Amino acid sequence: MPSTGPRTRAVRVRRQLPTSPWLFAAPGLLVIGAFILYPFVSTLVNAFTDRRTLIPGEFVGLANFRELLHDDMFWIGLRNSALYVLGVVPALVILPLLLALLVQKNIPGITFFRSAFYTPVVASIVVVGLIWVWLLDERGLVNSLLETIGVGRVGFLSDQWLLLMSAMAVTVWKGLGYYMIIYLAALANVPRELHEAAAVDGAGAVRRFVTVTVPAVRSTMALVGALSSVAAFKVFSEVYLMAGPSGGPAGEDTTLVMLVQRTGTGLTGRVGYASAISVVVFVVTVALMLLVLRADRRSES
Amino acid sequence: MPVSRRALVAAAVCLVLPLSACGSGGDDGGSTDASGKVEGDIIFQTWNLRANFKPYFEGLIADFEKKYPGTKVKWVDQPAEGYADKISADAAGGTLPDVVNVSPDLVAPLAKAGLALDLDKAAGQYRKEYLEGAWASHRIPGMTGTYAFPWYLNTGPLFYNKSLFKKAGLDPDQPPKTYDELFADALRIAENSDGEVSTLANVPTIEDFGRYGVELMNPAGTAFAFNDAKGVELLTKYKELYDAKALDPQALTATPESSGKKFLTEAVAMNPGSALDLGNFKKQAPNLYKNIGITDQITSTGHVNMYVMGVMVNAQSKRKPAAVAFAHYVTDAAHQMSFAKQVAIFPSTAGSLDDPYFTEEDGTDETRVRVAAAKSLKNAVNYTPVLFSEQMKTALRNEVAKALQGKESPKEALDNAVKACDTLLRQQG
Repeated sequence: MPSTGPRTRAVRVRRQLPTSPWLFAAPGLLVIGAFILYPFVSTLVNAFTDRRTLIPGEFVGLANFRELLHDDMFWIGLRNSALYVLGVVPALVILPLLLALLVQKNIPGITFFRSAFYTPVVASIVVVGLIWVWLLDERGLVNSLLETIGVGRVGFLSDQWLLLMSAMAVTVWKGLGYYMIIYLAALANVPRELHEAAAVDGAGAVRRFVTVTVPAVRSTMALVGALSSVAAFKVFSEVYLMAGPSGGPAGEDTTLVMLVQRTGTGLTGRVGYASAISVVVFVVTVALMLLVLRADRRSES
Repeated sequence: MPVSRRALVAAAVCLVLPLSACGSGGDDGGSTDASGKVEGDIIFQTWNLRANFKPYFEGLIADFEKKYPGTKVKWVDQPAEGYADKISADAAGGTLPDVVNVSPDLVAPLAKAGLALDLDKAAGQYRKEYLEGAWASHRIPGMTGTYAFPWYLNTGPLFYNKSLFKKAGLDPDQPPKTYDELFADALRIAENSDGEVSTLANVPTIEDFGRYGVELMNPAGTAFAFNDAKGVELLTKYKELYDAKALDPQALTATPESSGKKFLTEAVAMNPGSALDLGNFKKQAPNLYKNIGITDQITSTGHVNMYVMGVMVNAQSKRKPAAVAFAHYVTDAAHQMSFAKQVAIFPSTAGSLDDPYFTEEDGTDETRVRVAAAKSLKNAVNYTPVLFSEQMKTALRNEVAKALQGKESPKEALDNAVKACDTLLRQQG
């Protein structure tokens, strides 16, 4: 009689296999479910209700989205968030790359510069915001310098456009070091032989940058573009700290996420309406990611 | 690809769970019966008071527990920043403490959601212990009842920088007493300093409209009315100040903190404050302190503005007798008086303001401010409507800014602000 021992063991092992990976993944899945999936689905559902902070809502269909279309503040928020992407993303794709090229070289003291450029990344955004508010104040350091050289005071924090641009500058300044590190990792993988070959062919530094470095880090540039565009569209802290809770003069610097915070929080918050704005933010950010990644695939092919 | 039954069930659960969350809150608010034995564990929440008054509250709690054996009070303190959001989260999550430090605008939505105990029914016997106006400050238009014990009151003078007044050719001992004088002095200071020195750092808020004599709401409290001729007049004056740089160019984005800082750095000539501020001036800006002028709040109505703090009892509390007893204990005359001696605030209990501590001067600025404030509190008004939410404040502020920038006329701006506030009021239910 043939032994059935090994086959029985194999069947038992096969039966155990499907459950054990789930057991390992369970803690992570629980956290994701509780803190990402549930709030996300909850937001989606709330967007179709008139729920308020303390008052349960009723299903109102697309009423919140219809209201959005006629809400001036929503369009101002959308405009500012879009402008933020246009103003910040190109700078955050190109400048950190140039910075990475600068600090890539192994020369004495370069570690200090790498650390210095990275410092704003680890600094608290609140501290950073306050420092820039002091610098750009009507009587701050920057205006004092401008006055000294005869330019006169500039209303960095009182003019709606200058305020938005100042906030963009802070975002760029704070993000440079973070994306620089990503580029440094990418540049480390560019074969030195390519540069040497181009140099032998007589290519100068600029030519080598365009023909060797950029193609080699193109996918990293796309990644940086995608990450920074999502972050820029969802900007909150910089504008909130510099323009104040009301979103600058007459609320003209309000961004979409600021509008979500202002509309949906507090004891009288309109959770349903704020959720509808959040859904719009989500759709636009996903679209932005897809656009950047598709553009990258197209340029690669 | 066929979808498995398990996946369908999971998706359905995901969709139904949030819907079930929508069904919570806003129930009947529990009973208003607070009779019975004072016992059990309760939680008491204050608003940014632990840092400076820890021994006071620990002593108060210990005395209460001694007076009522079998009670235990757990004290939690929340930071000033985001206090309303913290209460919102607790209220929505069913974890609101038994006794909560609130202001009238925080009480209103909680009362509407059935989370604040009606003290007229549950603790009406204590009503006569408090100033009539203070007790009434936690009533909600459209609802019957009173929803918090009045606690401390605060008001303050208008501080001004004598040195800046002098530089502008004004008599530093003759500060403005009326709105007309204020506007005239502000324009003169701006003119004589070539726009370098502004007099005010804040755009007009709802309290300013109230003090100017503007009717803020209709008598029924069902709609806003600050777009009347008087309101337009005030905003027109402010526009004139803004154009002349008599109102700080950054006023449109200012916060009370930032405008206070501007006064400290002598960038603006006047700033409203309270008796608390004098200590700050002494510590942070000795040069300003040497030149500080103190004058009364300017008002056209004869009533200055005051801020009211209250102590609310959670209508859902499992220990209502203990919660009501403790809320009353915190706010009774003896404890309000002892708290007022710790910090520059004023008691809301009847007769407390007649104490020599609030009526007799000893020659110091601190006492002078305290005595003047206590005197003005006797007929002070909390101008901020109870139903005036944060969203409404922002709507008013943004419309005022449009008027000051010249994008809208003052009338248009106030009409729009009233329209926006009325819409928000309707949405509050």
